[in-house]
Amino acid sequence: MSSAGFELGGNRLARRRRVNFGMEALAWVAAALAVSVLVVMVYAVARRGWSQLNLDLITKQPIPFSFTNAPQGLSNAFAGTIVLVAIATLMALPVGILVAVYLNEFAPPTIRSAVTLVLDILNGVPAIVIGIFVYGLVVLGHGQSGFAGSFALACLMLPLVARATMEVLALVPNSLREAALGLGVARWRTTVSIVLPQTIGGVLTGTVLAVARVAGETAPLLFTSSLVGNRPSWNPGHALQSIPVAIFELSESSDPKDHARAWAAAFVLLLFIMLASLGARWLALRSRRKLTAG
Amino acid sequence: MSAADLAEAARRPFTGRRVRFGDLLLQLVAGAAALATTVLVGLIVWKVIDGAHLSISKFGLGFVTRIAWNPVPGHELYGAASFLFGTAVTSFSALLLATPLAIGIALFLTELAPRSLQAPVTALVETLAAIPSVVVGLWGILVLGPTLRDHVEPALHGALGFIPLFGPKGAGASVFTAIVVLTIMILPIVASISRELFLSVPRELKEGALALGTTRWEMVRGVMFPYARGGIAAALILGFGRAIGEAIAVTQVIGGGVWIHWNLFDTGDTLGAKIAASYQGASTNLQASSLIYLGLILLAFSLVVNLAAQWVVRRAARKQGATRGGRG
Amino acid sequence: MPKLGSLTRISAVAAAAALLAATAVGTAGASRASHHATTISGAGSTFVSPLVAQWVAGIGAAYGYELQYSPIGSGGGIAAIQGRTVDFGASDAPLTSDQFAACNGCLQIPWALGGTAVMYNEPSVPNLLHMDGPTLAKIFMGQITTWNDPAIKKLNPKVSLPSDKITIAHRSDNSGTTYNLSDYLSSVSSTWKSRFGTAVAVNWPVGVGAKGSSGVAGVVSSTQGAIGYADVAFALQAHLKYFAMKNRSGKFTTPGTRGILAAASSDQKPDANNALSIVNPPKKYPVAYPISTFTYVIVPKQTAKAAALRKFLFWAVTKGQAAQYTARLRFVPIPKSVLVVAEKTIAKIHS
Repeated sequence: MSSAGFELGGNRLARRRRVNFGMEALAWVAAALAVSVLVVMVYAVARRGWSQLNLDLITKQPIPFSFTNAPQGLSNAFAGTIVLVAIATLMALPVGILVAVYLNEFAPPTIRSAVTLVLDILNGVPAIVIGIFVYGLVVLGHGQSGFAGSFALACLMLPLVARATMEVLALVPNSLREAALGLGVARWRTTVSIVLPQTIGGVLTGTVLAVARVAGETAPLLFTSSLVGNRPSWNPGHALQSIPVAIFELSESSDPKDHARAWAAAFVLLLFIMLASLGARWLALRSRRKLTAG
Repeated sequence: MSAADLAEAARRPFTGRRVRFGDLLLQLVAGAAALATTVLVGLIVWKVIDGAHLSISKFGLGFVTRIAWNPVPGHELYGAASFLFGTAVTSFSALLLATPLAIGIALFLTELAPRSLQAPVTALVETLAAIPSVVVGLWGILVLGPTLRDHVEPALHGALGFIPLFGPKGAGASVFTAIVVLTIMILPIVASISRELFLSVPRELKEGALALGTTRWEMVRGVMFPYARGGIAAALILGFGRAIGEAIAVTQVIGGGVWIHWNLFDTGDTLGAKIAASYQGASTNLQASSLIYLGLILLAFSLVVNLAAQWVVRRAARKQGATRGGRG
Repeated sequence: MPKLGSLTRISAVAAAAALLAATAVGTAGASRASHHATTISGAGSTFVSPLVAQWVAGIGAAYGYELQYSPIGSGGGIAAIQGRTVDFGASDAPLTSDQFAACNGCLQIPWALGGTAVMYNEPSVPNLLHMDGPTLAKIFMGQITTWNDPAIKKLNPKVSLPSDKITIAHRSDNSGTTYNLSDYLSSVSSTWKSRFGTAVAVNWPVGVGAKGSSGVAGVVSSTQGAIGYADVAFALQAHLKYFAMKNRSGKFTTPGTRGILAAASSDQKPDANNALSIVNPPKKYPVAYPISTFTYVIVPKQTAKAAALRKFLFWAVTKGQAAQYTARLRFVPIPKSVLVVAEKTIAKIHS
C-alpha cells in the first residue's frame, strides 16, 4: 500500500470510497450505453421499416425509377439470399466437419497446431479481401454467379463451423472411443457412428451461427454476385441479388421509398439473425447439458 | 486381442498389419479437407499478390507512401498513404473509445450486475455483435450521420474548436461518423472477451484483496487487471483487427476523400472502404490492380494483427500455466 | 447397431432434402428459361439508367426479351463489357483509344441524349438560381465556399442569399456524368482544365463522395447548402432544385427538352468512333443548355447474342426515344443525323 503522508484515516477512506463509487457508476453507464445503442438501432430499424413491412416485400420485384405507385418489393433479394446461403452451407459444412475430425481424431500435435493456426488466419481475413480473391479466382473470365458468391460465403463459414465442431468433439469423452475400440469397432466406424452423433447439437449450433453471420455479409458478394436482374431467380449459374447487397444499394439512393424498403429488409434480416443467434444459444445449452450429463 | 494390443490400438491410429480400409479412407478424406483449408489460405494470399502485381511493378513500394488517387487516363497515379492514414486513424480512435466502454461493461457484468440482469445484458451485448455491417451502415447514413452533423459536431467544434481535430462541421459523412460506427462494431468483441477473462480470475485472489480492506475498484485495479492483462491485450488487438477489416459500414458513412488532414468532421477513406466503393467501377487494369494492391496491404495488416493476437494469447497462457504451477 | 440407424436416418433425410432442393432449383430455372428465352444484360452509366429502366417493360412487350441493367457507373460499364461479363456496357464518356483496344473489337453507339443538372439544397433560395461556368468552376475547386459569395450575388442581384457553407457532393466512382461536368468546366475555366482536366474521375479538392447519381442526389437531399451534379432525371426524382446555367450567348438555360436539343444541334457529325461533344455550344445556339451530353452503348462487334442485341438496340434508338419513355425524364430523342449513324453501326453487330 502507498506510504504517502499521514492522513487522517477517515478522510482517506472517504476519498477511496468516492473513487470506488465513481468507477462503479461509470461501469453502470457503460453497460447502459451499450444496451441503449442496441435498443436505439433496433428501434430505428423497426420503426422506419414498419411501413414497408408487408407481403409485397417478399413477393414483388423491384421496379427502379417507377413513376407509378405500382407495388414493389425485394423478391429477387430474398430468393437470392436463400439460394446463396444454402449453397454456401452445403459447401462449408462437410469440409468444416472433416477438418475438425482430422484435427481432433487423427492429427499429430504439430500438424494440429499448424492447421488450427491456418483456421484462425482464415477467420481473420477481411471479408472484402475474400471477395477480391474469389473475383480473381472464379469471376474473371467466367462472369459472376451465385456459385461464386456462395463460395466466398463458404470461405467465411468454414472456420466457424470447424471451430464449433472441434470444441464439441473435444467434449466427447475419450472413454467412449476407447470402449468402442475395445469392442473391436473400426476406428472410422467409431468416429462416424459413435463420436459424431454426440456432436450433432454443437455442430448444428455452429452452423446456425455461421449462417446467421453470412446471411448479413455484403462485401464478399459485391464482386461476385451483384450484376443482377430484378426478377427473382433461383438459378445459381447467374449472379443472384442478396438482401445485404440490396440494402447497400438502396441505402445510397435519394428516394425515401427506397430507404423505407431498405429499412424493412434490414428489419427482416435483423429478426432472422437475432432469432438464429438465440436459437443457436438455446441449442448449445441443450446439447451441452446432454453431453455433460452423460 | 490381448490387453497390450488394445492399449496399442487406443494410442495409435494404425496397428501393425491390419490396416482397415475404412480407417485409411476416413483419415485420407479428413486430411484432404485440412490440406484443402491450408491450400485455400495460401491461394488467397497468392491470388491477391497476383492481382496486385501490375500495380506493384508500376509503383513499387512508393505506392504505400504516396497520397494520390488519380484515375485520369494518361496521367494515372495511385497511392495508398491517405487510405492507410484513414484506416489507422479510424481504427485506433475506435479502439480508444471502445476499450473503456468494453471493460466497463465486462466489469459490470462480472462484478456489479444483479443476477437477474447478467444473462439478458450479456445476450444484448452479443446481439450487438450480430448486427450486420450493412445495417449499421444504413443506420449510420440515415440516422447517426445527420444527428452527429447537426448536434454533436457543432457542440464539439464550439467547445474544443481550438484543437484542429474538431474543425468546422461537415456534411454528415465524415471520419467522425465512421469512428462512432466502428466503435459500436468492435465494442461487443472486446467486451465479451474481457468478460470471460474477468470470470476466470480466481475467486481466492479477489476475495483475498477485498478481505484486506480494498474497495471494489481497488481490487479490480490491483488484482483483476494484472491477472487478465494478457487476455485483454489480445482482446484489444482482435478488436483492432476487426476495425481495420471493416469495409461496408465505413464506406457508407465516410464520404470518400483522398487526402490527409486533421479535421475529424471532414471526409476521409480507409483501405477496405475504398475497395468496396471503387472496385466495381474500375475502368482500367491499372486502377483495378491498384485497388487489389490496397487489398494486399489490408491483408498484410490483418495477418500481422491476427498473429500478434495469437502470440499474446499464447504468451499469456504460458505465463498463467507457470504461475499455476503444478495445479490441474 | 441402433446408433448407426439414427445417423443413417439423418443423412438420408439430408440427402433427400438436398435432392428436392436441387429439383426445385432446376425446374424453376427451366420454367423461367422457357418463359423468357433471352436475357440481355448490361451495366454502366447511372446517367442513362432511368431511361433504361423505362425500356424494360417496353422491350419485354415488344420481343419478350428480359432486359437486366446494373447502374454501376460508366467506368464499371466499360470494365464489364471489356471483361464480357455483360452483353452491353453503357457509358456517357466516350471510350479512349486505349479503352477501345482493351475492349477487343467493340462498337460505340450513341443511344440517348440528356443533360446534367447542377442541383442544390438551399431552402431559402428559389429554384433555377442563375449560375455561370467560371463561378461554378470556382465552387467546385473550393475557392467559393459560402452561398452569399459576391460572385453568386452578382449573378442573382435580386435574391437574398444565406451565409450557409457550400458542401460539394461529387461522384466517388468512375462516372460519365463527372466526365460531362469536367468537360464543361474545362471549357469555361482554364484553371480547372490545367488542374483537373476532363475525366470520369477527378482529384476533387473538396466535397463529399457518393456512389452513383442517386448517391449524389442523396447527399444533396440530406445536406443543407449542398451542391451536386447528376442527370436531370435524378434531380426531378429527388425533388431538388437546380441552377439555370449561363450559356455562351449569355442566356440562362435549363436542362429541358429545348435546351438539350439546341445543344445537340451544335455537333451533328459523330467522329470515327461515333463520339460527339456538345458541351458549352457556341453563341449561335442561343437556347442551348451548356452541360448536355450524348450517352453511348458499347457492344462487341461479334457476339452470340447478335440478333437479339441488334433488335434491342434498333428498338432503343427508335421506339425507345418516344415521349412515353423520355419526356418525363427530360431525355431528348436523338437527332436524325445521329440516328442514321447509330443504325449503321448497329447493323455491324454479327455473330
